[in-house]
Amino acid sequence: MKIKSFYNAVFGIGTEIFYAVVIILAAFLICIAAYFFNYDS
Amino acid sequence: MILKPQLQDLKNIGYYSGKIIIGVGLTMLVPAVIGLLFAEINPALDFLIATEITSIIGLILTKLCFTEEDLNWMQGMIVVSLSWVAAMLLGAIPLYLSGHWGSYLDACFDVMSGFTTTGLTLVQDLDHISYAHNLWRHFTPFLGGQGIVVIALCFFVKGVSGAFKMYVGEARDERLLPNVIDTSRFIWLVSIVYLILSTLVLGIVGIANGMKTANAFFHGACIFMAAFDTAGFAPQSQNILYYHSLLFEVITIVIMFLGAMNFNLHYHLWTGNRREIWKNIESRALCITLLFTFLITLIGLNQVGSYPRAVIMFRKGFYQLISGHTTTGYMTIYARQFINDWGALALAGLICAMAFGGGSCSTAGGIKMLRLGIIVKALQQDLKRIVSPEPAIVEQRLHHLKEIFLEDKQVRAALLITLAYLVLYGIGALVGMFYGYPFLDSLFESTSAAANVGLSCGITTPGMPAGLKLTYIVQMWAGRLEFMSVFTLIGFFIAAIKGR
Repeated sequence: MKIKSFYNAVFGIGTEIFYAVVIILAAFLICIAAYFFNYDS
Repeated sequence: MILKPQLQDLKNIGYYSGKIIIGVGLTMLVPAVIGLLFAEINPALDFLIATEITSIIGLILTKLCFTEEDLNWMQGMIVVSLSWVAAMLLGAIPLYLSGHWGSYLDACFDVMSGFTTTGLTLVQDLDHISYAHNLWRHFTPFLGGQGIVVIALCFFVKGVSGAFKMYVGEARDERLLPNVIDTSRFIWLVSIVYLILSTLVLGIVGIANGMKTANAFFHGACIFMAAFDTAGFAPQSQNILYYHSLLFEVITIVIMFLGAMNFNLHYHLWTGNRREIWKNIESRALCITLLFTFLITLIGLNQVGSYPRAVIMFRKGFYQLISGHTTTGYMTIYARQFINDWGALALAGLICAMAFGGGSCSTAGGIKMLRLGIIVKALQQDLKRIVSPEPAIVEQRLHHLKEIFLEDKQVRAALLITLAYLVLYGIGALVGMFYGYPFLDSLFESTSAAANVGLSCGITTPGMPAGLKLTYIVQMWAGRLEFMSVFTLIGFFIAAIKGR
């Protein structure tokens, strides 16, 4: 039972960090898109 | 008819406030020990003096007002609002004794800013402050973010019923576990686990960037406490700009996200319900509002052409935006650059992000994602009602930890608190304009204070008028407690004067 709680907590932390990283990557892609948009104009 | 408060009311309020004050006094021993470890005798003495004064006041209150009665709702709310004021007044003693704050009011401002996880600061010569005082600056958000009362609940309060009333008074209306004391302990478990992990990671990055080992881990711990608790304090006056590291900035963004996340969501994720993060109305609302405000900011910044390269746009534009949205207040630019380099549209995007804030039952401030989600869902429901045939019953659901049917009382509560926040932002902006600051600057700083953000466009300096300092202190306090406890305290004073 304790092993399962530990496993859940570790994967929970992993999910939280993954969520943040997905948003960071999305923001970075938007910045790159904005750069190319500006460059073309 | 308004009833005058009775002696028993005062005894209950005094007794429980005394317990919380003792708790605050004991927490000041941590920077005292750090001071002794770094051979800083005078700073350690500052904290020992403050601990002694605080503990004596707390002990006198608990002895004079000793009671075995549990708190009722009104008393619980008043204990919370008064405890926060007492924590500010007493927590400011060691800062004032250090000589780095121009006046006792300035020290109070910084302590309230810390406890409410705001991050605005009036410290002078921050780069030469002692380790002990610097730790206390970062420790205050760590205590206030989780909740001063939550600390007391973990260690001092036995009555579960009264404990819940104080817990709610501190703007935490969600219980993670059936017992509110177990809830408080889980909140601390999450914070301590992330403290250890993040200090290690930030410390290693600091060492890789050339910092000395002890300094790197000290900075790591301080930065974590201020980032996770969505306060904007940093050990150096240049804030995050001091580190000049993209990796450091990305790690702090991740920590800011973790801090702006509802503790209930942490609980669900940590207990195996990992899909909740993709279904929860708060995490979805955060993605949408972030995208919306970032696009406004991006267009505004592109118009003025301040950050032409993608990496710079990310490190300057997105970083300030995410820092504002999670109500942290970390900065990778200088304060006046907001006014000189950003332009009105980009600032408007950032002000919106600050006003929206982070998750409910988190360490973040602002209107909160759950309230925005409820308001949007209510709007959807009304639109559906208009287009549906008249006898149709239109139900609206939202997913927050479980499927919930939207009720009018939830919409009413969300709208009332949102309105209160908007009024608070507006009042602060008016006071700023009264002192001669331009509208946009005043609105920016006022929103930053009331939503407990901590970004500054340069108004918050030791030289600003005392009236404005007091206004921001009240804004930070009312914004952090989400009004109910503050309104109850005002009602209590009115009852004491006018009641029969």
